[in-house]
Amino acid sequence: MTTHPGAHHVALPADTPGPHSRRLGLVAVVATFGGLLFGYDTGVINGALEPLSRDLGLNSFTEGFVVSILIFGAAIGALVGGRLSDRRGRRHNILMLAVIFAVGTLGCVLAPTWQVLAVFRFVLGLAVGGASATVPVYLAEVAPTERRGGIVTRNEVMIVSGQFAAFVINAIIYNIWSGWDGIWRVMLVIAVLPAIALFVGMLRMPESPRWLVSQGRDDEALGVLKQIRSPERAVAEMDEVRALAAEEAATKTAGPTDLGVKWVRRLIFIGAGLGIFQQFTGINSIMYYGTQLLESAGFSANAAVIANTLNGLFSVLGILVGLTLMNRIDRRTLLLAGFTLTTTFHLLVGLSAYLLPDGPAKSYLVLVFVILFVFSMQGTIGPLVWLILSEIFPLKIRSLAIGICVLVLWLANAVVSLLFPIVREATGIANTFFGFAVLGVIALVFVYKCVPETRNRSLEELEDEFRGVPA
Amino acid sequence: MTVLVAVPEGREGPPAVAAGVAEARMLGTDLVVLNMTLSPLDGSLLPDDLKTTVVERSGPGDRDPAEAVLDEIADRPDVERLVIGMRRRTPVGKALLGSVSQRLLLESPIPVLAVKPPA
Repeated sequence: MTTHPGAHHVALPADTPGPHSRRLGLVAVVATFGGLLFGYDTGVINGALEPLSRDLGLNSFTEGFVVSILIFGAAIGALVGGRLSDRRGRRHNILMLAVIFAVGTLGCVLAPTWQVLAVFRFVLGLAVGGASATVPVYLAEVAPTERRGGIVTRNEVMIVSGQFAAFVINAIIYNIWSGWDGIWRVMLVIAVLPAIALFVGMLRMPESPRWLVSQGRDDEALGVLKQIRSPERAVAEMDEVRALAAEEAATKTAGPTDLGVKWVRRLIFIGAGLGIFQQFTGINSIMYYGTQLLESAGFSANAAVIANTLNGLFSVLGILVGLTLMNRIDRRTLLLAGFTLTTTFHLLVGLSAYLLPDGPAKSYLVLVFVILFVFSMQGTIGPLVWLILSEIFPLKIRSLAIGICVLVLWLANAVVSLLFPIVREATGIANTFFGFAVLGVIALVFVYKCVPETRNRSLEELEDEFRGVPA
Repeated sequence: MTVLVAVPEGREGPPAVAAGVAEARMLGTDLVVLNMTLSPLDGSLLPDDLKTTVVERSGPGDRDPAEAVLDEIADRPDVERLVIGMRRRTPVGKALLGSVSQRLLLESPIPVLAVKPPA
């Protein structure tokens, strides 16, 4: 309980270079491996699915099951991981996650049947979700203010880069040993390497000073700051760390009882809606099933796994473009433009598959439109939804609201991933993408009617709008 | 001796504050205002001529608004009267989210004045 909520800005001396700089450079390394691991583990199934499916005798339902169970695990992992990292500490949590990553990966690699594979994919999902809830928080808390934004952005880029890397490695391995169905095990086992790197990197990293302060361990927090900042900066920064820890505590004020308040419910409804529609674009259907999709559009198995690397490449390029666009264009405008583009490309994929006779023209047009879809999605809606979620909620409801929205987003992702192979097999590529186009139109209506502009607006103005007070 | 008023979200909030102010005046005491809502209290509700302390609900320890009020009573032994605002709730809403005012009525160690908003 406090009578003076909110943090104040503290002027800090610049962080001059010194022996501590190398220590801080390790933060960037951990950032790289945390994000890469997330990306690789979610993306690797894309190229692995076809040989895996033959090796373990999957049908479209068990394919959807084995792929999506990782995402269901991630939904739970994000929820539990966030709580654990508040209770036991960020560093402890990330070390534990690195071990779960390694165990989950090895379990998948050695799985004799699809049932065992599913169990370990679920375990892997717990680690993916936990990492998504812990790694960016840890990075933001350890990095100095002036480098904080850059390091967190780098994490987003590394996630898609991890997926791209998975697609490229899949393509290489597939084209070397294309006769052998067991190659999916080789593709998966590579994910042990970044897990080891994360573990070793994290062993040399200190606990988050902000977390230590939140536990009342101020002396230890100062000790950590002295390792990763210049000496005069470390002392000066303690005030900022305390203010941020207090602000962080304030974000955890709202609890389930507050869902009885109408404006709180409305804001959470909007955030959850954005999460759902981001996933209902089907972006992750491409990220998980791209190779299979291209094969059914007429590419040979070897060509499909190579063509799929373009999906990964344009996903990375899209994010890079999106991160620069986000702060120049209003959120609503960019969201509406994004959904218009993705819906258009859904229609064009559907029409190409529906109207054209089987042959190279059809295959290549489907590929081009899928790539354009991925690029426009990652250039707009992909990163933008995360940004809006971080800025739409007033301080005191933030933790509760973001928790619910992220859970809903993961669940929407899991449902789409479960249904995609089943729907595609039952109705074909054309109808599947017409379905995505219909969802896109609903998303446009939702954004137009419900989503407020958050760029260049204070939280107080937003809150007044939602409480029905004229601003 | 002090009067504590717990201000809930919604239109039952301002009448609760008004009743708290009237109660403090009648008893000739100070007023402590515990803001259970998630946004800052509207300062215009408070008179200038009464000694008031505003306490904001903040942090995971105050996640449950009823607990926040009961903790405040425990922390301030001079509080002898609790004023709360309440309104009719649907059975479904009560079953899902519970009722803060019901819990305060039942669990408060001091007498409670419950105020309804005008119909």
